[in-house]
Parts: sequence; C-alpha cells; structure tokens
Amino acid sequence: MKIYVTGAATTKFGELWGVSPRTLAHQAVGSALKDANTEASRVQALFVGNMLSGMLGGQEHLGAFFAEELGLSVPAFKVEGACASGGLALHNAVNSLVSGQYDTVVVLGIEKMTDHKPEDVATALMGAGSEEERSAGATFPGLYAILARVHMKEFGTTEEELAAVAMKNHYHASLNPNAQFRNALTVEQVMKSSRIADPLKLLDCSPISDGAAAVVLSTIRTKRSIKIAASVVATDTLGLAQRKSLTELAATRTSARRAYGKASVTAKDIDVAEVHDCFTIAEVLAMEDLGFFPKGQAARAISKGQTTVGKAKDIVVNPSGGLKGCGHPVGATGVKQAVELVEQLRGTAGKRQVQGAKVGLAHNVGGSGATAVIHIFKSPK
Amino acid sequence: MNSPVKIWRNQKNIAGLVGKFGTILSWTIVRVPPGDFTDQAPYPVVVVELTGGGRITCQLVDYDEKHLVFGQNVVTIIRRVTHPDPDGVIPYGIKAKPV
Repeated sequence: MKIYVTGAATTKFGELWGVSPRTLAHQAVGSALKDANTEASRVQALFVGNMLSGMLGGQEHLGAFFAEELGLSVPAFKVEGACASGGLALHNAVNSLVSGQYDTVVVLGIEKMTDHKPEDVATALMGAGSEEERSAGATFPGLYAILARVHMKEFGTTEEELAAVAMKNHYHASLNPNAQFRNALTVEQVMKSSRIADPLKLLDCSPISDGAAAVVLSTIRTKRSIKIAASVVATDTLGLAQRKSLTELAATRTSARRAYGKASVTAKDIDVAEVHDCFTIAEVLAMEDLGFFPKGQAARAISKGQTTVGKAKDIVVNPSGGLKGCGHPVGATGVKQAVELVEQLRGTAGKRQVQGAKVGLAHNVGGSGATAVIHIFKSPK
Repeated sequence: MNSPVKIWRNQKNIAGLVGKFGTILSWTIVRVPPGDFTDQAPYPVVVVELTGGGRITCQLVDYDEKHLVFGQNVVTIIRRVTHPDPDGVIPYGIKAKPV
C-alpha cells in the first residue's frame, strides 16, 4: 500500500510566550488540512507526538486533549519517544494506514518548553536518559559532549569544524520565515559563546523552543502529494556507557540500512536531508551514520560547505535550519522535518529551495541515540 | 522523581558497584546542570571502562584538572548524589575518584 503526505504545515518556532499549546495545535493542524484541501470531517485518527506535556505542563491524556480542542471526535493517541516523539508519531500513523484501519489521519507534533526555567527543562529532558546518567548529574549537552570528545580524539575533528555546523544551519534558518533564529552566525561567535558542557558551547546547542507541526497522511494520492517511501524505527540502549562504540549511533545506522532497502535507494540518491542536529556533533555523527560521508570525514565536509544550500553538489542538509537554527520543540521536530521535505520535494521552499530535489530523508533521534526514526520521501515527478 | 522505596530498592545494585577500578574513556564538564545539581556545578561527568568488563557513567570527584585525560585510572566510591528528598531519605550513588 502506498502512503502519501497530502498536507503539511508548521507554526513559527521560537519563544512563544503569548501562544498556548491549544493555539499552536489549531495553527498547525488547520494549515495542514487547508494545504491538503481536506475537511476536518475526513480525518479518522489523530497521532500526537509530544514528550514533556506531563512533566512540564502537568497534562497527560494528550490524545483526547487535542482531539477535543481540534473538534475531532476520532481515535487519538499521544506517542512518546523523547526527542523522536514526532518521528515516532509519524511512523505509528503510517502503520495505521498500512493496516487498513484508516485512510486519512493527522499527525501533530507539538511542544511547549519556554514556559519553564532551563534547570527544570534540563531535568525533564533527562527523562530521556538512563537512571545511571540522571544519577551522574549528566545533561544532554553533556552526553553529546562525551561523544564529541571521542570523535575529536579518533578523527581529529576540531571545535571550529563543529562550530561550522551551527554557522551553516543558522544560514539556512535565515532563509526560513518560520525559524526561531534568523541571524547569521560566525565560527568565532560559536567559539566565544559560553561553555555548557565542554567541549560544547552555547551556540553548539539547539535551543529550548515552542512550536507545532502537522501533516495529513492519506492512502489516496492527490495532485500535490508526496510519497512516503520508507518509515523505519530502531532502538539502542538508553545509556551511552552500555554501547559498544562512542563514535556512532548504532540505531541511526540500523534504521538507515533498513530504510534505504525499503525505499530502494542508496545514500547517494538522497538530494536533501533533515537530520537531528540537537548539538553540532550530532549532525556530524548523522552524516556519517547515514552513509553520506565516510566515518571521520563529515565535519570537514560540512565546514567546507558541501551540505550548504546553493553550494552543495550532492546533498543539502537541514535546509530548514535544523534543530539548531529552526528551533527544537522536541515533540514537533520530527514532524517539522517531514513538513520541510514535503515543501522541498514540491519545489515550494522559496529561498532555501534545493534545486531539483526528488528524494528526501528525515532523521529524528530520541535521547542520545536510543531511538532513531527515518522517513524517506519521494516526489511524484 | 525519587521515592524512599525506589532508593531502598536501588541500594542493592549500588553496593555491587563500589570499589571497582577502571579508566576514563571520555568526559565532559557540566556547567548548566539539572535542577537537583545546581549547587554542585560545574562538575565532570565521565564514562569509565571498568577493569573486568562493563562501563559506567558517573561524576568524577576529588580531582584536579590533570586527571581529566583519556585513560586516567579511577576507582568507584559511594557518595551522596543530591539533596535528601522531602521524606528525609538521602540518595546515595556511585561516583569515581582518580587513583
């Protein structure tokens, strides 16, 4: 059975103190349905990707919460997989269509983080780690810093090369009207920013954000629909220490291999990718684990502009600005990646359009790599 | 969230991890900590390869800057992790110190 994205939309991402989750949901789902030219009455189920509504907002039972708010009296589910909640919601929605249970469903990724102080958000996010890591007082910047240090030792990756990832993603975000950060960034600014978890600095880290994104999925092809060619999930240990290697995310490698097989493509066929750059080192690891560059060579390639829109020859990475530039409302991110790729494959991405893009890949990670979700999208052309 | 029951149950596991020798595989210095750890920051968090197998992520204590290197020898010890919870139970856990 073939599954299509028929409508896609995101809200503005950022510090949206004046906007409630209810309003975000209306904006994202309303725009996605309009984009799909579909009435709300056609929607048969709602999948909500969200991580922190319980810990930060005190609101669980999120499926029914948003179904009521959106006026959809349909089966509704909250899907949680830490920062991969959005991608995981999309995967579950795809499965529901493949099963034949429904023919049109909506996926809403949403997170409201900036109502709370950073220490509380850091504590809540550590819910994605292992008990051992929480007891160590680790943070997510800290865990990725531990990976960065090993990568630097093994492959000679430098802090300046990592900073270039942030610079590239801010440049892309400057071309995206919905991005949290529209300002250009220099390597020097990243290097001089305050230290968060050595060797990672503030501007190596994705921000704390609010935002929502929604897609309408259907088994029925429409004029502007984009095909989902693969939807794959892999898991690994929650804690870093329990893994064989500290220079790769095995869940990314596993899910990529399976996704390429399902979509009958190779890494070389991907024209545009939205990858999980929660920290600059995470984009480097993703580039290598997805097979775009040999292990140890991605940081140099990114810093030379080989994945920058307008410069890249083979593949553009994170044209939305990624998590770093566009913002990272954790449950929304995986769905936002899909929205960006739909726009890219339709050829409607404006100034950040990847010319001639036909195949797109979304890579969404939960925790420090315990969950990896990969979707491959193909344009009908 | 901590609970006295959870702390009590985990203590059996903690006892078996004390006094283990190992070496530092990687490390960071946490400068923006989770809420319960604000009074301890900045502090190093290390991944230790234990002699005899297994790895553990924990804080490094009683250290100098020169100890933050690949391959530094450490030993695991028992230490207080955060503040006592409202029920008065003190959470203890595993940390490491240089040898």
